[in-house]
Amino acid sequence: MRRYLVRQLVQLVVVILGISILAFSILHIIGDPVTLLLPQNAGKEEYARYKHLMGLDQPIWVQYWKFASSAIRGDFGKSWYGNAPAFHLVIDRMPPTIYLTLAGLGVALMISLPLGVLAALKRHSMVDTLCTLLAVAGQAMPIFWLGIMLIIIFAVRLRLLPASGYGTWQNFVMPAFCLGAFLAPLTMRLVRSGLIEVMNMEFIKTARAKGLGERIVVVKHAFRNACIPVVTVLGLQFGQLLGGAFITETVFAWPGVATLTVDSIRNQDFPVVQCAVVLLALIIVIVNALVDVLVGFIDPRIRAGA
Amino acid sequence: MAVGPSATVTAAGLQAPTAQDAAGAAWRRLGRLKWGVGGAVVFLVIVLSAVFAPVISPHDPLSVDIRHRMAPPAWMDGGTREHLLGTDQIGRDLLSRVIWGGRVSLLVGVTAVLLSATIGVLLGLTAGYFAGGADWSIMTVINVMLTFPFVLLALAVIAVLGPSVPNMIVVLGITGWPVYARVIRAETFALRERDFVVAARALGMSHARIIFGQILPNLISPIVVVATLQIAQVIILESFLSFLGLGVQPPTPAWGNMLGEGRVYMLNSWWIAAFPGLAIFVTTLVLNLMGNGLRDWLDPHMKL
Amino acid sequence: MIRAAALGFALLVVAGLALPGEAPAQTKDDTIVYALQSDIDTWDPPGSVLREAIILGYQVFDHLAVRDLKTRKVIPNLATSWKTIDDTTWELKLRQGVKFHDGTPFTSKDVKATFDRVLDPAKKMIARGNHAKIKAVEIVDDYTVRFKTDGPYPLFVERLTAQVMESEKVIREKGDEWMQEHPVGTGPYKLVSWNRKQEHLLVRNDDYWGPKPYYKYVRIRIIPEQATQIAELLSGGVDIMKAVPPDQMDVINKSGAARTATSPILRTAFLQLDQAARGGPNPFTDKRVRIAANLAADQDAIIKHVLNGLGDRVATAVNPMAFGWDPALKPYKQDIPRAKKLLAEAGYPNGVDILFNEGPPTVEPGTQQTNDAIVADMTKVGFRVKRNYIGDNTVVVARAKEGKLGPMFNWSWGYYSVFDADAILYDIFKCGEFYAYYCNKELDDLIISGRSTLDQKKRTEVYVKAQKLLFDDAAYLYKWGLRGVWGISNRVEYSAPPDEVDRMFLVTPRKK
Repeated sequence: MRRYLVRQLVQLVVVILGISILAFSILHIIGDPVTLLLPQNAGKEEYARYKHLMGLDQPIWVQYWKFASSAIRGDFGKSWYGNAPAFHLVIDRMPPTIYLTLAGLGVALMISLPLGVLAALKRHSMVDTLCTLLAVAGQAMPIFWLGIMLIIIFAVRLRLLPASGYGTWQNFVMPAFCLGAFLAPLTMRLVRSGLIEVMNMEFIKTARAKGLGERIVVVKHAFRNACIPVVTVLGLQFGQLLGGAFITETVFAWPGVATLTVDSIRNQDFPVVQCAVVLLALIIVIVNALVDVLVGFIDPRIRAGA
Repeated sequence: MAVGPSATVTAAGLQAPTAQDAAGAAWRRLGRLKWGVGGAVVFLVIVLSAVFAPVISPHDPLSVDIRHRMAPPAWMDGGTREHLLGTDQIGRDLLSRVIWGGRVSLLVGVTAVLLSATIGVLLGLTAGYFAGGADWSIMTVINVMLTFPFVLLALAVIAVLGPSVPNMIVVLGITGWPVYARVIRAETFALRERDFVVAARALGMSHARIIFGQILPNLISPIVVVATLQIAQVIILESFLSFLGLGVQPPTPAWGNMLGEGRVYMLNSWWIAAFPGLAIFVTTLVLNLMGNGLRDWLDPHMKL
Repeated sequence: MIRAAALGFALLVVAGLALPGEAPAQTKDDTIVYALQSDIDTWDPPGSVLREAIILGYQVFDHLAVRDLKTRKVIPNLATSWKTIDDTTWELKLRQGVKFHDGTPFTSKDVKATFDRVLDPAKKMIARGNHAKIKAVEIVDDYTVRFKTDGPYPLFVERLTAQVMESEKVIREKGDEWMQEHPVGTGPYKLVSWNRKQEHLLVRNDDYWGPKPYYKYVRIRIIPEQATQIAELLSGGVDIMKAVPPDQMDVINKSGAARTATSPILRTAFLQLDQAARGGPNPFTDKRVRIAANLAADQDAIIKHVLNGLGDRVATAVNPMAFGWDPALKPYKQDIPRAKKLLAEAGYPNGVDILFNEGPPTVEPGTQQTNDAIVADMTKVGFRVKRNYIGDNTVVVARAKEGKLGPMFNWSWGYYSVFDADAILYDIFKCGEFYAYYCNKELDDLIISGRSTLDQKKRTEVYVKAQKLLFDDAAYLYKWGLRGVWGISNRVEYSAPPDEVDRMFLVTPRKK
């Protein structure tokens, strides 16, 4: 168990390092911050002076070191257009994104778990085919289109929900549903296939042979064990979930990190983009690590040190 | 294998399968895959219409005619046969734009997938075959890139490079390879212990010949399945980037930017955004059906 | 299965409980909701060029004089009367009993402090150009002020409507940075909170010296997508929005929930071309290329079909409602063959690549749609236009100010609601001004002479000459005078303001 935890920690550090290098290189290697900042007709000396001022004429690893060492302290520089440190801007916008992600996960689970179990139990029946078709259709639907349609139907035509904004639970309904619908198809298929696999295993047959009721077999034994691979994959999908949250946020003008990042990209406000990328990566990595640890506790095979 | 119509009775009293039986079994398998086949057919139609766009497109997708802007589709009041699906906000024929938009989306999708498949397969083969340090480093990069939402990576790089079709292909190609690498790596691991590989090594075959001659041919199935499913992913991503204004730039028609531009008109001239959105949905749907069908047909137990 | 559903539900409940609490309780009946497409950069009006900053300034601050919307004449506000002592001196009497939001009384020292600050060259205030003719402000007594001008200043009274009065105490004690986020004015509303790029909340000033607003709260919501603004208007989330795209007007009017109102406004739209090469060498430094651009677009058809007639074609950037407008000057007519010829003569027989920077349609209805049409027309001539959309107005104006928005960008000018040709010529065409991308010594001389005489006849002559020059030289790509289009919820009574200032303090509920 200890070794498992240590391995997780090492992986975490490595991944964070990798992301920070990625974020740094995107701006400094692929782009040229000085050209972006200066007026177009700035002369060569102005360019050189600015470069020196920003410390961009130093070797790339020195620059990276400066970036990384200040980043650890939470200093990602000042936003080029926002009059505030990039870190504060990003952190301020984190809570709405997190809430949306959790709400979307909740909706996804509410849809996918019952349907997945149903499909697994009634395998190859009409119900199963229907669920599978629904899942395939759901995966094909571009969620930004779904979001726009939802707004038109529920906000404009039916006047049941607000068209945009943040602050009340009504504001959450459509975005959460949108995000949930994005994640549900894949989750449903995972639950279904995971449960099917488990149901065919030896210990289930044993439980049945023992004469236990079908319900108990399913819920107590099969489902619990199916949870392990499902939770693992879901945890790994957290990154994709955030990606879906990204798209949802832009459609609903949600005041979260995603809209901030997209705006900053449009405005070429790179300190904010860098900061958002690194912080989001950090969160994803931490969640993944937590999930791995959680799985390590649940899965008796890992617990026993296999 | 028995070839003749008559069955051969074996010692255990069982009958070996005949050719007729084999054909019948294959046909039944295809029947179960009717969704996949249906999807493939529709996809073929889409591809053909994209390829022959210059021929079948009723109008020039770029020709502006503001006197006939926002005309509804032909079956509605005010629609004409001239513009079967109506016109957009500056009078361009919508049907033509949807057809040509398919061209861009498919071009980006297929090219990006080719790029990421090439990178991913090469790296996956390397990791799976050579294991050890190479495997560890490649796996780490895979993990780093897979934890990260595709969307964010693509956005960040586009931010610096600027939006254009070649940039998008590069970005989508480079951010997409980990999926292939992971699958190929797993399959390669399994394959390298197989008899024919071990034998080849014993015979002194070079690594390259083994990898490309022996292992790779067995990986065609997973590569094709993953690639098909990935094209759908890439098309959705490209649409999203164009929708945000960071992908294909207007006036070049692409389903994503048509959706973005048409958004303001959803309440009255809904067709401007609805048809591109439908096109994205249908294309992605048939690609998914095709991919699932391919997987079921080639190897139902593939772990994807 | 039940456990799964319970788990999902629990997550939702957690998400719901963790939501931030609501701001001070506002009900639908005491709040008016106003939508903006882009947030302001600062609550210190002289520091911003944005129309939104001017509008928000009107809610929280007062001016020495204001415009009567019905007669279009300038009437007293914080100043009760004014007269000229001599050619270069004006004397104003101030209103008594007016208090700033922090309780300090409004007196002449506030007037002096406000103008001294705006005129100080070291502060580089945007509004400085507006008042550059004022040399000094002198305090005569607590409620009497004298202005000394640099030569005769015909626009003095008009321009009183374009400067808010700020508190001397605040200027002295708090400084510029604080003032950007904490407006302390004498106006009908006070700022409660500013959630940047999200929303502002204003509350009624119950000690206001003038008529009290009906609505206690004003919520100013920043909604960047026009589609979303319209959706919010129709679903009741927004009461007033501006710059409605003309082709969405029938959606709003047929909805039963809201209606549109239009008014000719003192704003002209144009595409600024970087003749002055502020952003570096570009094709528009050549007069032939500029004329070709003007000859490319069929502006009349665009006004008719894209704006549904809601625009008034102008030959230059001077608005028909402004003093000095020359009705005899006819605008360019579309002529594609001649445009192509000119482009070839200029050295671009195979066309030329142009970068087009566009901002959000915050004040100009239908910008995106008309830009689409103009670009399509320009493409026919040989301009290969690459479009770059910048969604944030603060970024747009920041880049414009630094000269980085060229070679071609979308701009419009509201004249600071001063109905005079000088109000656009100086800021937009005079060499070296923040937002001018044109440099022509002859024009500069004309501008200076136009604002240095009190003889209106002489001024008209000067401005006729100036407009001819701007037309012949095709300084920019001219478009039209705008008509503002507002979307108004059916639960309120509101009329479209011809000076483009939305006064929330005048909004009342609709009688059933």
